[in-house]
Amino acid sequence: MSPNPPTPSDLAAAPETPARSPSDSRQGRLDAEFEQRRERALAMGGAVKLERRRAQGGLNARERIGHLFDAGSFIESGLFATSAVPQDSERSPGDGKIAGFGRIDGRGAAAVANDFTVMGASSGATNGRKIGHVKRVATQRGLPLIFLGESSGARMPDHMGSRGMGLLLGNDGTQYQRLRETPWASATLGLSYGSSSWYSVMSDFHVMRKGAVLAVSSSLLASMAIKEEVDPQELGGWKLHAEVTGFADLVVDTDEEALDAIKRFLSYLPSHHQEAPPVAAVPSGSGEDMGDILGLLPTSRTQVYDVRKVIRTIVDRDSLFELKARFGKVAVTGLARLGGRTVGIIANNPLHKGGALDTDACEKITSFLVLCDAFNIPIVMLADTPGFVIGTEAERRRAPGKIMNFMNALSLMTVPKLSLVLRKSYGQAYLNMGGGRNSDEFAGWPTAEISFMDPQFAVKVVHGLAPGAPGFDEAQAQMDRASAVWDIASVYAMQSVVRPQDTRDYLIRMLDVHELRLTRGVGRHLMQAWPTSF
Amino acid sequence: MPTTQLLSEVTGSVWEISAQPGQQLAPGDTVMVLESMKMEIPVLCEDGGTVVEILVAQGDAVAEGQPLVMVAS
Repeated sequence: MSPNPPTPSDLAAAPETPARSPSDSRQGRLDAEFEQRRERALAMGGAVKLERRRAQGGLNARERIGHLFDAGSFIESGLFATSAVPQDSERSPGDGKIAGFGRIDGRGAAAVANDFTVMGASSGATNGRKIGHVKRVATQRGLPLIFLGESSGARMPDHMGSRGMGLLLGNDGTQYQRLRETPWASATLGLSYGSSSWYSVMSDFHVMRKGAVLAVSSSLLASMAIKEEVDPQELGGWKLHAEVTGFADLVVDTDEEALDAIKRFLSYLPSHHQEAPPVAAVPSGSGEDMGDILGLLPTSRTQVYDVRKVIRTIVDRDSLFELKARFGKVAVTGLARLGGRTVGIIANNPLHKGGALDTDACEKITSFLVLCDAFNIPIVMLADTPGFVIGTEAERRRAPGKIMNFMNALSLMTVPKLSLVLRKSYGQAYLNMGGGRNSDEFAGWPTAEISFMDPQFAVKVVHGLAPGAPGFDEAQAQMDRASAVWDIASVYAMQSVVRPQDTRDYLIRMLDVHELRLTRGVGRHLMQAWPTSF
Repeated sequence: MPTTQLLSEVTGSVWEISAQPGQQLAPGDTVMVLESMKMEIPVLCEDGGTVVEILVAQGDAVAEGQPLVMVAS
């Protein structure tokens, strides 16, 4: 395909089909017109705009589609669509949004790619119908849906006035409905306002390219509204969404990396909610460092470590795909594989705040639990937390509500839930991290400590003794013994005590035991209509 | 050269300061250790850079969100 529009001389030079018969001649005329119109559509916003993009180092919408899908697999829907406003029809190839179906690693998927070179990929009547059609097909036929976001928002002046609003907005009551029938993945690859942003934050996975902006409306409009200069990156740049809002699951440097991330995300998921996730081959070398895993845990209980090293040691080699790594860092959420099967990992990370769970982490874990439950992904929880962050700031951030959203999500899950205590698990956080019957199998390493609160605090609360006071050390030693894993195992409130080096084998075996055989790996999806952000 | 502040992610106290002004930091390097909730919490410079100024002293009480170190990247 050529990105350049045909020039009059090109058309004049086009070889004529010899007119052997009336039907041949007719065919030739039809082909010529078809080809002319096709070339015009494929030219997008024209050579000048395309060249400008190329110079800036980004891919155009068709190049993005080409990188996303298997070679030759894309079939376009709406190639000849243009703006419904007659005076714009010539300058709106594809109406600024390219839609269709293709294959990723042999599996079907649908996509909408915004073409910013055509009227800023603004939303209009025709491209709204394109999105609606592709969404409907994806939902009804069980195909993942991909949005490549880069749009200036609603097209002006089409949307102006009550007639414009009536014709363009609100005519599809399901436009922003999300029931998680099929996975949605999105990338923000440039300036993204309006519906392009809405689809990204509604997606199960959202990757941002550095330099891109995701916001409700442009910085220009925001500056007009609040009468002060607004910096686009402060308004909706990658740092904001990776670290503050949590809307970005991943941040990358290039378009190609963003598209590869979408492909990788989808490789863990089933095509729709009524099938189990795909099973991959187990890479050689998986689990080979399990013999040294205890060495990752500091000998002092006051020292911290990066739980991601523990996760990477346990799961299939190089299979951890972390989500929202810069948001709510006291917890790690990520897709991974164990014995080739997709699992969702939720782990406290003592490296940050000692692993104490804050409100951002609650939101991050809740959204991840909803994702896993929607697409039949068993979860593995690795606990090492002194509890929830408490204090006035936590209460102002609505900690009780966030903690209960997390807890409710966990209790509504119908996929297999395995929980393993590595070190600390105290108080309410013990329940949130799958303690007791809040998981299908509850286990602990011999290093696990379980109680209502840290033994040092417990000595103060129970005995009124502060560190250094006579009797404190004896009281704490008694508390330490009572918090050890053996007592909870003895009353069978914990099913297994697992040696660290056996953890990978134990988890793979238990995932097999708890496979949802009666429903061919499919859960009940009790949270399919839960919010898409918290 | 743009500077960024490393903020305390917890309320606690400064246990130990390991970085010095002018020091080059690789991504993930520890600049100081805070004590909070009976744990030793490292303060990491995730993106790397050069230490411009240390804004707290050993033993200081720090609040969540308080700037601890200025780093040039």
